[in-house]
Amino acid sequence: MEDTKNMNCIDIKKKIKVFIIENFLLGDSSNNLNDEDSFFEKGIIDSTGVLELVSFVEKSFNVKFEDEELIPDNLDSINKVSDFILKKTST
Amino acid sequence: MNLSVFLKNRAKESPEGVCVVHNSNRLTYAEIDRLSDALAVKLIENGLKRGERVVILLENSAEYIISFFGILKSQGVVVPVSIQLVVRELSCLLSDCAPKFVITDARRRISLDGLINPQFLIFIDKFDSSEGQGLLYPDDNHVQNDLAMIIYTSGTTGKPKGVMLSHGNLIANANSIIRYLNLRAEDKMMVILPFYYSYGISLLTTHIKVGAALVIDNRFLYPNIILDMIENEEVTGFAGVPSNFAILLRKSALSKYKLSKLRYVTQAGGAMAPSMIKEFIEFFPHVKFYVMYGQTEASARLTYLEPDLLTKKIGSIGKAIPGVKIDILNEQGRLVKPGEIGEITASGENVMLGYWNAPEETSQILKKNCLFTGDLARIDEEGFIYIVSRKKEMIKSGANRISPLEIEEVVCRMSGVLECAAVGVNDEILGEAISLFVVNDGASISEREIMLFCKQNLASYKTPKEVKLVSSLPKTSTGKVKRAELSRA
Repeated sequence: MEDTKNMNCIDIKKKIKVFIIENFLLGDSSNNLNDEDSFFEKGIIDSTGVLELVSFVEKSFNVKFEDEELIPDNLDSINKVSDFILKKTST
Repeated sequence: MNLSVFLKNRAKESPEGVCVVHNSNRLTYAEIDRLSDALAVKLIENGLKRGERVVILLENSAEYIISFFGILKSQGVVVPVSIQLVVRELSCLLSDCAPKFVITDARRRISLDGLINPQFLIFIDKFDSSEGQGLLYPDDNHVQNDLAMIIYTSGTTGKPKGVMLSHGNLIANANSIIRYLNLRAEDKMMVILPFYYSYGISLLTTHIKVGAALVIDNRFLYPNIILDMIENEEVTGFAGVPSNFAILLRKSALSKYKLSKLRYVTQAGGAMAPSMIKEFIEFFPHVKFYVMYGQTEASARLTYLEPDLLTKKIGSIGKAIPGVKIDILNEQGRLVKPGEIGEITASGENVMLGYWNAPEETSQILKKNCLFTGDLARIDEEGFIYIVSRKKEMIKSGANRISPLEIEEVVCRMSGVLECAAVGVNDEILGEAISLFVVNDGASISEREIMLFCKQNLASYKTPKEVKLVSSLPKTSTGKVKRAELSRA
């Protein structure tokens, strides 16, 4: 696990993107996944996929999702996940 | 009677009653009836004949319901297909059922490229909202035994089997479920289960029959949204499989909700841990919790446990639903005594016509109109049924029954794979997750490459959670893989 406080927004997004591509897009980086794309709308992940994403974020960035934080605003795109991590690590 | 009469009757009795809530749309019974009439006319005008198949490849939506009833009204056969299937699986299903049309949306067009002539694709955004004039209803007395649906389930051989259900099968099962759940027009069902499974279809048929509302939301991946929806829409009913309840209990803010209007909850699709059932009913003591059991081959439902008996008979699947006879038979074909283990058999008007294009497999499971479920169970002194194990080696993951053979057949096509075995391993959320053991031929094939191959060739729910390379598979003296041993590995 890297020290999240020393990671900038670009690094965080990059790491999330690699995880999404490797685990949900069969390693196909030509999918044109944009940082603002909704995982739900694009059919990228299902309910167990969200749990995998949560587990990845918690382990990789040392943040904890509270039950009420498991919502699309915090999870449904690379930007949203990144914003959540930055919010959590800045407090 | 044609199953579509459920909708037609409700549209006459309460045309302004809300039938479907989805996204920001609210459609009344009159609107769904009119739009499905229009689709039926379109299908007939385009050459659909009685008994011809029409595939629905859509996620749950108002359009799904319109398609479902439109096909039935045109005397076609509904073939619901999972939107999670990959091209290889879709191709297999389409060649088996040979549909006249496929109803889908633009998002899924690409997965159908080359599989079906584009002129037989119907896109939901092109639905005609005209009055559907000219639709002549068939003489209903003759359609009871007509094929209404073919629902594909995983077969033990690895090849999916098409379960043929008649209008009579589906009507009988819907009426029985309505009776024991005491469903009524004031009810609102939160639908998160896909309509391409028999459990999902039973929500559709039962609630439409009584004139209730279906609140559809496909975002169960964010369970708090579903809980908000249940609260805001004053939902009275919820149906789920064990993994849905596990997610609600472990990965949502369930304890923050009152769900005061929720009246009944149904659970089927595999055994749910008694501790989780207890936990759920402790949160919501005002809710009636129905444990149910069934099979697609029985149009969905075979048994249920009265909520009042849940504590006393925890772990039981209850007794037969109204109109169904259940017998537990030992290997000699005799009724078992309490405590003795036997196979669950069922007879009733809900038992399927057979498997599509598979008379041999049908004869193995349907004998003298009696369905041999393959599930082993015992009964107690009061006749309550307890499942002991499944005779068939199927993996039950989330809402899905998965054939290990199907996974193994696919993986064995991969260059460098000598043999493999897929088994179900305990998983807190899914009930069972898939673990794949692979023996390679010494070539440098990695676990990651195998996983990638699985993801490319199998629907996501059939993809193993983990792949392990091993030097050999444990086998019996007759060469059969010891799956139980691998499940514990």
